[in-house]
Amino acid sequence: MVKVDTVAAKELTGSGSAGGANRSGATLRRVLVNQQFLLIVVLVAMIAGFSALNENFLSIGTFGNILVQWAPLALLAIGETFVIVSGGIDLSVGSTVTISGVVSAFAMAGLTGAGVPDPVAITIGAVVAAAVGLTVGLVNAALINFAKLVPFVATLATLGAGAGLALVLTKGGPVSGGPPSAIGLANVWLGPFSWPVLIVIVIVVIAGLYLHKSLFGRYTFAIGGNAFAATAAGISVKKHLTKVYALSGLLAGIAGMALYLQLGSGSPSAGAGNELQAIAAVVIGGASLTGGVGRMSGTVLGALILTVVTSGLLVINIDPNWNQVVVAILIAAAVALQALRGVHRRIK
Amino acid sequence: MTETAAPIYEVRNVSKNYGSVVALENVSLQIHAGEVIGLVGDNGAGKSTLVKVLSGAHQPDGGQILLDGIERHWHSPHGALQAGIETLYQDSGLAPNLTVSSNVFLGRELKVPGILGRLGFLSQKKMDTVAHEDLDRVGIGVAASDRTVAELSGGQRQAVAIGRAVSWARKVIILDEPTNHLGARQANEVLDVIRVAKAKGLGVIFISHTLPHVLQVTDRIVVLRLGKIVRDAPTSEFDAEKLLGTITGLIGSAPSA
Amino acid sequence: MSNRTASRAGIKRLITVGSVVAIAALGLTACSSTSASSTPNSGSSKKLTIAFVVGASSDPFFQAMKVGAQDEANALGVNLVFQGNATTYSPATQIPIVNQVLALKPSGLALAPTDPVALQNSVTQAVNAGIPVVNVDSKVNDQSKVISFITGDNAQGGSVAADTLAKAIGYQAGGTYQVVVGLTSATATTNVDRLNGFKAEIAAKYPGIDIVATGYSQSNPTTANTNINNWLTTYPKLSGIFAIDGTNATGAAAALQAKGLTGKVALIGYDAYKTNVDLIGTGVFTALVAQDPAAEGKDAVDTLVKYIKAGNKADGIKKSVTLPNIVLDRSTSAADLTKFTYVQG
Repeated sequence: MVKVDTVAAKELTGSGSAGGANRSGATLRRVLVNQQFLLIVVLVAMIAGFSALNENFLSIGTFGNILVQWAPLALLAIGETFVIVSGGIDLSVGSTVTISGVVSAFAMAGLTGAGVPDPVAITIGAVVAAAVGLTVGLVNAALINFAKLVPFVATLATLGAGAGLALVLTKGGPVSGGPPSAIGLANVWLGPFSWPVLIVIVIVVIAGLYLHKSLFGRYTFAIGGNAFAATAAGISVKKHLTKVYALSGLLAGIAGMALYLQLGSGSPSAGAGNELQAIAAVVIGGASLTGGVGRMSGTVLGALILTVVTSGLLVINIDPNWNQVVVAILIAAAVALQALRGVHRRIK
Repeated sequence: MTETAAPIYEVRNVSKNYGSVVALENVSLQIHAGEVIGLVGDNGAGKSTLVKVLSGAHQPDGGQILLDGIERHWHSPHGALQAGIETLYQDSGLAPNLTVSSNVFLGRELKVPGILGRLGFLSQKKMDTVAHEDLDRVGIGVAASDRTVAELSGGQRQAVAIGRAVSWARKVIILDEPTNHLGARQANEVLDVIRVAKAKGLGVIFISHTLPHVLQVTDRIVVLRLGKIVRDAPTSEFDAEKLLGTITGLIGSAPSA
Repeated sequence: MSNRTASRAGIKRLITVGSVVAIAALGLTACSSTSASSTPNSGSSKKLTIAFVVGASSDPFFQAMKVGAQDEANALGVNLVFQGNATTYSPATQIPIVNQVLALKPSGLALAPTDPVALQNSVTQAVNAGIPVVNVDSKVNDQSKVISFITGDNAQGGSVAADTLAKAIGYQAGGTYQVVVGLTSATATTNVDRLNGFKAEIAAKYPGIDIVATGYSQSNPTTANTNINNWLTTYPKLSGIFAIDGTNATGAAAALQAKGLTGKVALIGYDAYKTNVDLIGTGVFTALVAQDPAAEGKDAVDTLVKYIKAGNKADGIKKSVTLPNIVLDRSTSAADLTKFTYVQG
């Protein structure tokens, strides 16, 4: 065997042999530009600020509300994280929330009208919502893989179709007549956690493990980073992207059911604009819209920050239109930070 | 080299058209184990198309592909990969945000044993260790296989990509412009890795515009012009001037026996 | 607005109105000389087309308005083009819709502006193009160009809501009570008028009531629900909620039911959505202030057709029409509850 002293070996050991002081400086710098660390700092600062302005903010009740708002957004943002890391985008999640909630509301109203007991009707409703969401995801995947549309255009099409269909089906009004006990159902609490929130937390943990520790996540990162390299390595990119968009749709369907339980009726505007919030959460969480970069913990914190801002501004009674301004600043800061990290990397 | 032995990989009378453009016409080529073939030609001569046919990325319109004397039909690069044919595409690179070891194992990930493995969870520690050993074995000593590729220099990335291909290849390795964009020292190191592959008994197809590199490392040179093989002869029959003349068509060509 | 002394602005307005009349007349002459498309008093010619642009067309309030408008259009034999952004009550989405509708050159425009300033320009453009404009539900600031403004009495609705709320929380002089108001928009005149009516009544009669917070839903019931949930925890002693429109009523009702606060926090809603009317019986809503959007839609179409058929004369057309509100509560008869529930198309 030929012994080769490669440049790779030299350069890598070279950078590794830097002095201890130098290394701790680098570590400190890494922590300071670490997205998760910064997000936690921002979150704590916001909570402290809002609590200082209204003493009622720092309460289990308030955090319970924040988590109830956070849960459906987190579901959308989880799916969106996989999509964005894979190098795509899913604009349809908001309208998927709406259409799945509405279709499920019709199903439940029909079942309740036919005398089906509430728990059965609600279970079937949840399955219907999830199935509708999954279907939208598969349609997205088909448009991307077979009609060869770019994800932005494909999911823009389903965004419009879903929202329009929801209006056509409902004729614009809310869909009531579902199981009467649905509205109180989510109202079982463990401290600030209602049970749907606990379910979402479990989903978040599983999704995080799958993104960062499993084959599924590995392929998602590989495709988003370099789809050609992934294909060359024998990965079926189409098959994988189908799974990614299906997952995003499925989670949006579940979020649609969560919002139904929150309102007790289906609404043709329930998910309007949610896609932008989900994308904002993912970007604030440190993912790159060019694909291949992202962390589930960042996304989850991003979603939490967005809900804290909304609730906080309301609680301190500031014109909620400021919400958009604050969110815009957070997004700009997150993107600037990405650029900063890029520079940092290139200097090395 | 050992012309008497049966070829490990072979294409016979392969043709490929893109619409009305003829990219390959009646191309036949044999590679033997432990042999390094240089594939050269001007831009548009059909080198990239031949690489894609050999690697399974494209299907030929006509002709046969034989591995160990048995006819094969690749439907995707995956099929060729599984059969032991590794390809390093020009600028295909690696997944930038994955670590060195994740890239080495891309498409062949190791899972943890038991139920978690069946659920899709990866054995990253084992991959890190094995990747390190594998790269070391082919002469690429990457100190930190848990670094992301984005953190490496261009030369380091190329070293990892080649190391990955050489360590996985069981029969044939196809290297499309592996020394492109590299400095002289780094390029020499790549050529050393090619020698390691040869020593491993792999058939190596080396595609390059850098003719001194081709003359330096190959046993045989195949010259493509306008989709046809115009010369296929031992490297000893060429010098730099002759080779350039054959590529450009200034020197009349007679296909070797 | 008409009682101002003659000023430069007044004169300018006169000139504008004059020129508008002149342009309109010219336009009509031109029309009648080429085709009979929108010539008044020509019953046998092409049908009149009335354009009707609202805020969020999926809102049952506007749905009911559409039903009333469509019935009247059918009865009068005119075409109705009813448009609005499906879900968003916002000038940003409404202005392009109005512009697009105007490009169709309708005979008349009924408009429920989502903002009194932002939609002013669209109204001026329509009038300049010879298209008469009626405001429904909400209005633009300059009413001089608008032939009529038809609305529920929003200020009165607000003050009735205050009285009903005070009664529901058992208001006594000397006590202090916290209430919140859920709105849809900070600028829509319906919201502003109701809020002002509500505040004025409280200031006049119920000094112990403190409006601790207001928030906006942008026509999304999920947002409205979130707002109420937050207030219920931030203000644990909250006595009452005034949900200023149907979207907020839906969100607030869901919040009270989910938290088991039905009957413990008084809820005065606005707009008789079917889902909300049904909740009066179960005590979730203390009372609902109902408007009559179908009548508003009917009147708007009626007024425009009358004006056009009279040769663009405002004879006998009231500049401002205010339809009374009805308070629906547990004492309301079942027949009345059905009658005032908004019809869905």
